[in-house]
Parts: sequence; C-alpha cells; structure tokens
Amino acid sequence: MTAIKEAIKTHGLTEKQLLQMLEKMLLARALSVRQRILQRMGKGPMTFSGEGHEAAQVGSAFALRPGVDWVFPYYRDVAVAVTIGMTPVDILRGFFARRDDINSGGRNMPSHFSHLGLRIVSGSAPIATQLPHAVGAALAAKLRKLDEIAVGYSGDGSTSTGDWHESMNFAGVQRLPVIFVCEHNNYAISVPWRKQAAIENVSIRAQGYGFPGVSVDGNDVLAVYGAMSEAVKRVRAGEGPTLIEAKTYRLMPHSSDDDDRRYRTREEVEAWSAKDSVAAFPHQLKELGVLDDNAEKEINDRVNHEVDAATDQVEQEPQPEAPTALRHVFVEKERS
Amino acid sequence: MVSVKEIQGAAGLSGDQLLDIYYKMLLARTVGQRERMLNRMGKGPFAVTGEGHEATQVGTAFPLKPGYDWVVPYYRDIGVALTIGQSPRDLLLAHLSRADDISSSGRNMPSHFSDPHLRIVSGSAPVATHLPHGAGIALASKLRGLDEVTIVYTGDGGTSTGDCHEAMNFAGVHKLAVIFVIENNQYAISVPTRKQFAVEDVSTRAEGYGFPGVTVDGNDVLAVYAAAKDAIERARRGDGATLIEAKTYRLVPHTSDDDDRRYRSREEVEQWTARDPLVRYRGWLKEYNVADERKLDGLHEQAAREVDEATEEAENAPTPKPESALTHVFVED
Repeated sequence: MTAIKEAIKTHGLTEKQLLQMLEKMLLARALSVRQRILQRMGKGPMTFSGEGHEAAQVGSAFALRPGVDWVFPYYRDVAVAVTIGMTPVDILRGFFARRDDINSGGRNMPSHFSHLGLRIVSGSAPIATQLPHAVGAALAAKLRKLDEIAVGYSGDGSTSTGDWHESMNFAGVQRLPVIFVCEHNNYAISVPWRKQAAIENVSIRAQGYGFPGVSVDGNDVLAVYGAMSEAVKRVRAGEGPTLIEAKTYRLMPHSSDDDDRRYRTREEVEAWSAKDSVAAFPHQLKELGVLDDNAEKEINDRVNHEVDAATDQVEQEPQPEAPTALRHVFVEKERS
Repeated sequence: MVSVKEIQGAAGLSGDQLLDIYYKMLLARTVGQRERMLNRMGKGPFAVTGEGHEATQVGTAFPLKPGYDWVVPYYRDIGVALTIGQSPRDLLLAHLSRADDISSSGRNMPSHFSDPHLRIVSGSAPVATHLPHGAGIALASKLRGLDEVTIVYTGDGGTSTGDCHEAMNFAGVHKLAVIFVIENNQYAISVPTRKQFAVEDVSTRAEGYGFPGVTVDGNDVLAVYAAAKDAIERARRGDGATLIEAKTYRLVPHTSDDDDRRYRSREEVEQWTARDPLVRYRGWLKEYNVADERKLDGLHEQAAREVDEATEEAENAPTPKPESALTHVFVED
C-alpha cells in the first residue's frame, strides 16, 4: 500500500492512468484467452498467449509515446500492442488471417504485430531478429536528430542469440536511444533458464556493453513502469540504452502447439498463478481506493464486450482474395 | 645457468623454459618478418603476421599440452602455432602454398593454421567463426570424460560477433573446459576499440556468462603465461571456462594488403614499439641473469638460421599438382 503510493508519487501517475493500465492488462488477458478458445475451436491457426506477462508488457509500453516511439515487439506482446493502441479488432484480424488485417493482410503468423501508424514494426519469426532492427531504427533517429525512442522486446531465450549480442554492443558503442526489454519467463519454450545461461540475472550483461541493466519484478506493473520511465529519461538525456529484465512467468503453454506439462511441474505453475498481476493489480488499486467492485465490474464488462464484439465482427469478415497474394511485399503508395 | 625458480614473476618456470619461451617469441617474430618480406618480393600471396603479439601468443600457448589440448587459433597466431610445435618450415610451406603444407596442402590462405597431430584446428576466414568450434570441441571432451583443454584465440574485433557471444554463453552454461583468449590490439583492421565496444576491458563480459574474465598486459609474457596457466588448470579440473583479454598492439599493418598509416598515428606506433614484448622480455632475462648478452644474441642467430633454412627449403618445394585439386576435402585413408 505504502509502496504503491510511493510508486505513484514518484512516477506522477494519475488515477485515470492507473485505471487505463488496468484496462489494458485486462484487455490483453481477455484477448489471449479468446484466441486460445478460438484456436481450440478450430477457427484460428495458432496462438501465442501473453497470459502472465501483462504487467511487464503494459508497464513498459505505457511509458512510451504511441506513434512517436518505435516498438519492436515479439510474438508474446499482445499487451504491448494494445497499450500502444492496437484494438481487439486489429489483433483478432491478425489471428483469423483476415483481408483487412493491419498486421499483414492475413499473411503473417498471428501475434506478429505490425502497425504503420502506431510505429509497431513487424518482426520475423526467428528469435531476436527484431533487435538489430530496433537498434537500426534508433540509429536512424539519432542520425536524423529526432526525439524518438526504439524499444526492442524479446524473451529470455533470445539472450543467447548472436543478434541479441550484436544489438546490445552496437547500441552501447553508438549510445543509441533504444531500450531493450527482456521478458524473462524462465523458459525458452521448454528450455529452462539454467540451461540458457549460467547466471541469475541477465541484466548484468549490460555492464559489458557500457550501459545500465536492471532486473525488476515483471509481475509488478508499477515497478516495470518505473524502470521503463527511468530508461526513457536516460534516453532523452542522451545517455543511451538501458536493458530491463522483467522477471515474470507465462501461465499458459508457449503456444497452442505446446504441452508445458512435459517440462513444468503443476506446482510451479500454481505458485506463479498466485502471483498473477491481473489478479494482484486490481487488489492493489482497491486498497489504494482507486478502484471499487463496481468500477472493476464496469471495466471487465467493457473489456469482455469489446472482445466479444470484435470476435463477432472479425469472424464475419472476408479472407484475403487469392489474386492479392503478391501484394503487401513492398510499400504501395498508389493503391493505398 | 642460475636457478630462477625463486625469481618473483618467473611463474615457477625453469631457466630452460624461460629461454624456450624467448626462442619461440624470436622465431615468431622472424617468421612474421620473413613472410612479409617474401610477400613484398612477390613470392607469397599474402601475409598476415603477429609482430607485437608474441608475448600474448607464446605466453598463452606455453602451458598447454601439445597434441593433447585443442588449439583453435586465428590468423595472427604464428606464435601460437610455433609454440605448440609447428616449425618455421610448416609455416613457410603454407605461406608459399606448397604441396607439403600441413595446414591445407597449399589450398587455404596463409596463416590459417592446421595440424591434426598437434590438434591445431583449421578455421574459416570470417572473423570468430572458430569460437563455436572451440566450444564444440570442449563439449566433446566433456561428453567423453576427457581432461583435454581447448583454447580459442580471437582479436578484439571478434568480440562484436554473434558467434563470440553464442560460444561464450554455451561454454558458461555447460561449464566447458575452454579458454577464450582475446588478443586485444586495439584495432579491428582499421576500427579502433572505442568504436568496437563501449567498455574499457572486454573481459568484464565474462561475468555475464558465469565464468571469470581477466585482463592482462599482453606484452608481458610471464604475466600472460601466469594467467593462462591458471585458466588451463581451472579448465582441466572441471571448473569451466575463462576469458583472458591480453592487451597488446600489432606493430605492423593488419596484413600485406593494409596501410595502417591511414588509421594509426606514427607516434602511437612508436610508443608501442618502445614496449615491444621481445625487447622487454630480453631485458628481464638479463636483469635476472637468466641469460647474458652473448647467449641471447646466439638465440637470435639460431632463429634467423632456422628461418633461413626453412625459407630455402620451402622455396624449393613443389607446388600442388593440378590433378590433386580435389583431395583434402574429406579425410583420406
């Protein structure tokens, strides 16, 4: 209670903003749940659930300026996408591979978020390939002397890739306006962290690149927001990158094609479910007097209605037409 | 000769060993100079040499068990190759692309050292691609329960590659018996280290892989030897990897195709020439009466003679026959 008051004071968040954060978290949760259900019904090809990561994703994305800063999410970042401004319709069109899908016109895998207007940049499926892109965008902002920040998201597994290292190093040498957010959920699909790296906190690697690294409780949305705000301030002050490691847990299997019972005990999953930020944050807000049961129900109803309405709408929408298969490879100025 | 075991800084080496180290450094210097000269005479295609790196190379290779431990060098490691047991003749046969070249039978670029019996493993030309090989060899030793140690060499530029990161991370996770030696000569060809990484000592990265990293004066052969010996002992007893950053300087251009005047001031080169590891070590040997002027001059003459003979022999050796072009791709019984 005192901690949350302190955090709010420090970060200058208003009650309205706190409720917005909560709503984004609930919306992301509802979208993940919905996509998993639709996939099991045979209506969508594949899902990546972000359940459990909401605090890490909303807390970090909330500190950004939508449409100004550049966002390079990874496939689990549904809450990043909705915090920056993608709608349930945008997300579900991507999931259903519909014609009007803003992400890729129904071409890409679900959860490969992309939105030109919001500066959410499409990534490739191979792990961590988006990080050099983020660094490149930051270099462009620096060369153009623009007040823009690039944020590269990835999971703990990505930290073992060469792309991760090359991105960190280049960002350090060039002091780029880039923030790396590692959503550390302790598993690269089935590979536990102890087989991924021989260290406790991957944030210590930042020192080897000449910039700060911090580890935060990724289930504490305000702690993540605080770390991200600090990183944003550093960038604005011309002090270069920060690596933020948000320690969290994915409550669901890696994807709809994964059975996590083969590599995680149910006890472990239950222990982390008890720390679920989507349950904890409303509780915190109630203690603080920002939220009551009625207001909570109102938000939940709104979110559920929004996701229901989006599902109904998108299910009826047409798929891409066959003759358009070769479009959306290059920018099309004439045809819009 | 005097007993030197008690001399502080001698790292427990005998007088003979101390002089052997000096001789290997001399040989490396002489072979490097000879290759550059032969290249300028139009006799060798390309020279990439290690003048200035001798203390780092000989100091790290000397505590290894040749033919038992695995050595994965990079192109500047003439001093490593000679310390492990390649001869000036071996190196010059490769430089002149002769049929009897042990490294590749005249196929590969010069300074791409390889010797199956000495367990010197051939590398590819792209920078740092051999670091994952080093980690892989160390994994094989571990799986087979052998106490072999693998040592992998690269330059400061190598540290920016993804391969470097992946190799080190893997070595950390699996606690492999591998030693990464960064010969930090402050230039990746023409790129200075301030444009290569935003840290003073790249050895600090080791902590992020869960193993120790040390920075040593790469022009002090006995300091390098002591650091390498510790790391090799650690690896052999199963305590995992070490990163050794040896700070040194290349006294000559990157290769015979490089003009370093375009990116290094002559003042800087002169400053480092004054810290020449050979001159420095020679001074140390005299100061502690390990050898006198005459003895050391004798070693110089011996090295020059050995390299002269090797040059003559290599120059007279035949080039590969065209019809052999397809051999040496796979192992041949």
